[in-house]
Amino acid sequence: MRDWENMNSHQPATSALLEFDSPTRKYAKPAIYAALIALFALLPAVLSSVYMLHILILIFIYVIATVSLRAITISGQFPLAHAAFMGIGAYLSGMASKWLGWSPWLTMPCAALVTSGIGMLLGFPFARLRALYYAMGTLFFGIGVLQIIYALGRLTGGYSGLVGIKPLFFGSKLPYYYLFLGLTIGSIIALYRFEFSRIGTNLKAISQSHLVAASVGINEAWYRILSVGVGCFFVGLAGAGYAHYNVVLSTSSFNFMATLWLVMYVLIGGIGHFAGPIIGTFILILIPEYFRDLKMYSPFISAAILGIVVYLMPEGLVGLPKIIRSWFTQHLKDKRAVHAS
Amino acid sequence: MLLEIDGLTRNFGGLVAVHRFDMRIDEGEIVGLIGPNGAGKTTIFNLITGVLRANKGNIKFAGKDITGRKPHEIAKLGIARTFQLNPLFGDFTVLENVSASFHLRPRSSLMDIYFNTATYRRNEASIMKQSLDILKLVGLDTMKDELSKNLAHGHQKMLGIGRALAVQPKLLLLDEPLGGMNPDEIDFTITAIKKTQQQGVTILLVEHNMRIMDFCERVIVINFGEKIAEGLPDEVRENKEVIRAYLGGEKVA
Repeated sequence: MRDWENMNSHQPATSALLEFDSPTRKYAKPAIYAALIALFALLPAVLSSVYMLHILILIFIYVIATVSLRAITISGQFPLAHAAFMGIGAYLSGMASKWLGWSPWLTMPCAALVTSGIGMLLGFPFARLRALYYAMGTLFFGIGVLQIIYALGRLTGGYSGLVGIKPLFFGSKLPYYYLFLGLTIGSIIALYRFEFSRIGTNLKAISQSHLVAASVGINEAWYRILSVGVGCFFVGLAGAGYAHYNVVLSTSSFNFMATLWLVMYVLIGGIGHFAGPIIGTFILILIPEYFRDLKMYSPFISAAILGIVVYLMPEGLVGLPKIIRSWFTQHLKDKRAVHAS
Repeated sequence: MLLEIDGLTRNFGGLVAVHRFDMRIDEGEIVGLIGPNGAGKTTIFNLITGVLRANKGNIKFAGKDITGRKPHEIAKLGIARTFQLNPLFGDFTVLENVSASFHLRPRSSLMDIYFNTATYRRNEASIMKQSLDILKLVGLDTMKDELSKNLAHGHQKMLGIGRALAVQPKLLLLDEPLGGMNPDEIDFTITAIKKTQQQGVTILLVEHNMRIMDFCERVIVINFGEKIAEGLPDEVRENKEVIRAYLGGEKVA
């Protein structure tokens, strides 16, 4: 049996060797987070190209999208319309700023709220579906959203895309960078709190056994709708931000492929861990960028990464340190066994 | 009268799983429900707890009509259950299985939970304490940090009971609580069930093990979805129809 198949079980003794002792550990995590935030806050000073800034802004937007996807998947629902919801947020905010002349600062939160409302309304019928049926139902909804955008071509720009969206800032990309950095950190904190409170516990309980969850009084349908509402709020916000950053919208950013990319980010990062979607998004956007000359092959590179991760790291990239650690302790143990004999 | 069931009927296509079933359970009683495989025992549990809808008949709990209510509403009224195949929250630890089941009492509002208010923290602390008490009762306090899917079968069954107790029920439905347990575990579980009953919980259980049937105050026997006998355990055991149902003829036994 492979080592990592047992890694979920609690095994103290040997692996404790490589863990921090507890007082260090208590401060280690906040210190790492503070350092990361400081790093991102200072990064623009170091980066030479505007292009890298652009990539980082996109990463921030997609991190909000994938972390919000996680808020839904922990309840055992696997929606295949997340990019479509991002599109709803983007188009609503973009159209409100273009046609109604509202300030983007107003349309962004409004679009996020409306997206959340649409998600929750949709949640009522979809709360009856489970697993594959749920995935298929949402998939068709996502396709439907695009058809509506095409059908309302006069308002949405249809096939040629929506242009003339008000930007948030003029000129430099730097304010966008800090805005989206702040939004991303805020969303991550909000969704972390959501997952690691009793609400998240209830959602995870539902995903493990909806029968048992109902038998202890958890209202399955309501909690599933709630998780969709929260997930759609943040993905709507990400979409709205994208609209006012990019200023031009086309449906290709929100089609089924775009949803699949979001799912890929989550899968590769690790579906069982809060940090999974964040890490997956960073790696999967950065690596193809690094090989930019091979851009046409980027789907292949991503597919190769997916294959490698699924085969070697069933827990996703988040599981990598664990695998290394368990490999290391095994190594130590073998060494000790040699000494003993 | 805690539970009153009148004329309960449920069909699956052409198959009549439960047919005009009546039952009365008083507060504080412990009642056994027995019958051969496929007799409809689990279907009755599923009908009481709202997992299945009845085709006919009605169920009253503590004077309230609960027919057709949803499972989580019925749990809220005070009916908890275990399952025959005993699904658990497999990726939760033993302690988390019980603490996650404390959904109803004490209950924090969504705002309290999200903003981590003093009320929420107080509730969570009391849930932790009560969960540990329950784990002690079902004998799992020493393995509270194990993942529940890694437990041995008997322990998982006990955890199922502990989880149901977290609902703080008035009526506890146990679906084969002793199935697949070894003699030691059976002793322990019977003690735990007795203790639970002494705390004022009414118990209805499905079981094949006669040891637990012997301390039931009343036993109801069903076959092909219909009640064929009801009475003290000893009376029921002598009943000819029961013997026929179980053994297919009267001359054996």
